[in-house]
Amino acid sequence: MPHQVALTIRAPIKPGQAGALKRLLAQMADPAGGRAIPFERMETTHFARLFVLDEVDGGPDGGPPIPASLVYMSDVDAPVWRHLATLVGVGGARLDDVFAHCEGWPSASASNWARVAWLRARRVRADIVYVNTVGRSVAQVHGERRLRQAIEEFLDGKQAEWRGGDPVQIHAAVRRFVAGRPDLRWALEPARGPGLAFRVRSTLHKVGGPLLVLLAAPLLLALLPVWAVLLRRHERRDVPDKPILPNPERLRELADLEDHVVQNPFTAVGVAKPGRFRFLTMLAVMRAVNYATRHIFNRGSLTRVRTIHFARWVAIDDRRRLIFASSYDGSLESYMDEFIDKVAWGLNAVFSNGVGYPRTRWLVLDGANDERAFKAFLRNRQLPTQVWYSAYDDLSAVNVENNAAIRAGLAGAEAPTRGEAEAWLARL
Amino acid sequence: MAATLELDDIQGLVARGYGGLRAATFVLLRIGDPAAARAWLGALAGEVATGEREERSEAVHVALTHPGLVHLGLPEGSVAGFPDEFTGGMTTDHRRRILGDVGESAPERWHWGGPANPVDAVLLLYAEDHAELERLADRHAGPAALQAAGLAEVQRLATSPLDGTEPFGFRDGISQPLIAELGPTDRPGPPLHTVRAGEFVLGYQNQYGQVAESPTVVAAQDPGRVLPRSGDPERADLGRNGSYLVLRQLAQNVEGFRRFVDQASRVDGQADPDAGARLAAKIVGRWPNGAPLTRAPDHPADDLADANDFGYADGDAAGHGCPLGAHIRRTNPRDALDPESGPEQSLRSSNRHRLLRRGRAYGDPSDPGERGIHFICLNANIARQFEFVQHTWLNNPKFAGLYEETDPLVATRQGDTGRTFTVQARPLRQRVTGLPAFVTVKGGAYFFLPGRRALRFLAELPGAPDQNPSRREP
Repeated sequence: MPHQVALTIRAPIKPGQAGALKRLLAQMADPAGGRAIPFERMETTHFARLFVLDEVDGGPDGGPPIPASLVYMSDVDAPVWRHLATLVGVGGARLDDVFAHCEGWPSASASNWARVAWLRARRVRADIVYVNTVGRSVAQVHGERRLRQAIEEFLDGKQAEWRGGDPVQIHAAVRRFVAGRPDLRWALEPARGPGLAFRVRSTLHKVGGPLLVLLAAPLLLALLPVWAVLLRRHERRDVPDKPILPNPERLRELADLEDHVVQNPFTAVGVAKPGRFRFLTMLAVMRAVNYATRHIFNRGSLTRVRTIHFARWVAIDDRRRLIFASSYDGSLESYMDEFIDKVAWGLNAVFSNGVGYPRTRWLVLDGANDERAFKAFLRNRQLPTQVWYSAYDDLSAVNVENNAAIRAGLAGAEAPTRGEAEAWLARL
Repeated sequence: MAATLELDDIQGLVARGYGGLRAATFVLLRIGDPAAARAWLGALAGEVATGEREERSEAVHVALTHPGLVHLGLPEGSVAGFPDEFTGGMTTDHRRRILGDVGESAPERWHWGGPANPVDAVLLLYAEDHAELERLADRHAGPAALQAAGLAEVQRLATSPLDGTEPFGFRDGISQPLIAELGPTDRPGPPLHTVRAGEFVLGYQNQYGQVAESPTVVAAQDPGRVLPRSGDPERADLGRNGSYLVLRQLAQNVEGFRRFVDQASRVDGQADPDAGARLAAKIVGRWPNGAPLTRAPDHPADDLADANDFGYADGDAAGHGCPLGAHIRRTNPRDALDPESGPEQSLRSSNRHRLLRRGRAYGDPSDPGERGIHFICLNANIARQFEFVQHTWLNNPKFAGLYEETDPLVATRQGDTGRTFTVQARPLRQRVTGLPAFVTVKGGAYFFLPGRRALRFLAELPGAPDQNPSRREP
């Protein structure tokens, strides 16, 4: 099974065309509009989105102005080149319509490879990537959804007969049912993990990171008190935003795009605090968080938050700004509540390097725990995710996980114990 | 403990549900003559029941919608801090989606509160019996009284005499949050149900230890200093001691519910009343007498009829007593909201979404007409409390790890979602399919229930000609 890649492509929009592009994206978001890119035909794409980053004149931090840009993001099964080739092939003229608003998009007569090359040249590396479960492909998610539905329907017909029955025998009967279905028989084999090359690279990264830190430990320990003093000095000087939500028109613009299905996209852009100290702190924190999401939180739970399918942080404009993008289950209100309850410290560590964040102490304390201020901070930085696609918008991340566990419980030739069979049946 | 509550300013509905005042009616109003309506409100400010403890033989309360405040003459631009839920109202496209107000329950079909029949205010009248209520209603909302007040009646919501049972036949209102500040100071209430006043009243600390955002007006608007000043000396605190009141008319298809339960529990076409009663209890999470299935899984034990001191995490985590998707488990998941985080964290999270329920049933069992509940709840943050419960718990097909079911009792249904209900059991769940909607929304609006000083302030507004809806400033 392939691993997953967070692809980000960002391209400057031709002067004066941002408005027209936004209108086009709004039309594309309407499934009945006939202009949507048929992402569903791109079989290795979990999620995708397109949005416009408005131009910033004068620069948010006093730096040079930043032109408006188009951002394409997708969470895809490796390899990326296959995704890009499919995007260009399947997207066709509709993709041209979108990217023609950007500087230098190949002409209609150019080859698809020229388009792929153009996109690749504009790729931006993500600083932090969170994948709910590494190695689970779109095909696996779809297959396991069909498997569960078939088993549930099978059990509906048997539930009266099997009331009070023996769980081991019921498990065996379900197994026989699956074995008898040519379209489901694959489920008796366990899902394979990511490929060897990925695992080798991952292991090297897993070991290499701590090794480097260990080597630098004497230096880091010596610097720690200095850093701590500087941190507190910076934190005391911070100027948090007033906890005021965006105006009603903006709130409604955002709300119009929310809660159509059980999942939602979240996209936000913030400005990094100026100065070398914050720059280095943010860099170090993002490295550490990325290490944690890559090697620790890669099995369905981000410090107990189980509602995020994919998430990423991407620094842009020479790290002057930071984009946060995720696909999650439920409403934004519940998403933010979960953040506050479970990962306030982690969000503080990253976001407190951004201008206007609720005041933190020692990098991880306070901050998001100020509920009103935190929710206003996020809402004020949120962008309308004009085009958003999910390959399985009827499944929560917990559903996907449960489907995988149902399949995993079918594998193996040996009969489960009574306890195992009961636990497996409780998933249905 | 934080500041003591200013009970002489808070409308008493916050502190009590008037169990002793069995008769009630809710009069929905539209303001025709703002000047007359202001005078009416000023007189009413002296009559509304406050939160101070006293024996009452009647109670009057008044609450206003956002258009109502504007019609009264609250000038645009001078107000800030009303949340978008309140200013935008219950019927925006987004709120229809999260509240489930679509199809049969769409606001276009409402008796009141929809686009065709908006309301400005609600007058809530409570008395000991029907005759007393008639007298009270005549005095406050009779034709002469309304005309003098410059008001038009949109709808009068009658209620059945309070007997603690809702139309489906289940005892109702057993579980309510307790306001910490109202209890004895030396003896804190049970942690399961005790929450801070700021969850229901503006101006006090809430479960996050914060004071919720309160609407304010520019201080110049209040030269007589009727309102307290907020932290900012330039602003007067309009919200202090107020609450947001959610009112929804929920029609219940009692016959349809009985029929469905009977059909779904038949064995080989034979009716099985015991199985039917059991299925109904599984849908609700309590037996008709109130006994919770978590504590009384097999039969409606009388000694557990009032039981409310239970959680789900210890002993019923799998839903074998009270199903994971049962109505009372969705409305308050208690200590089982997030098994991975454990019961204490779950309870802490659940208690950030509590509602003070003040609804009353309507309709007569002996009469074929519409029956249901005039659902009322009070909260300080509509988005985090009422809307969250409605969307993230009741209407959420993914609640508690489930797939495609919504609240089996009260959720509206759309397409295929919500048509199944799973009764967890060992070794095998029983899945009930083909659920119709048993509840239809017939009306609704978000109101602000001001403190007494705020009512006086509103009564003294100069009455600007400006009739545009006020917007808060960023």
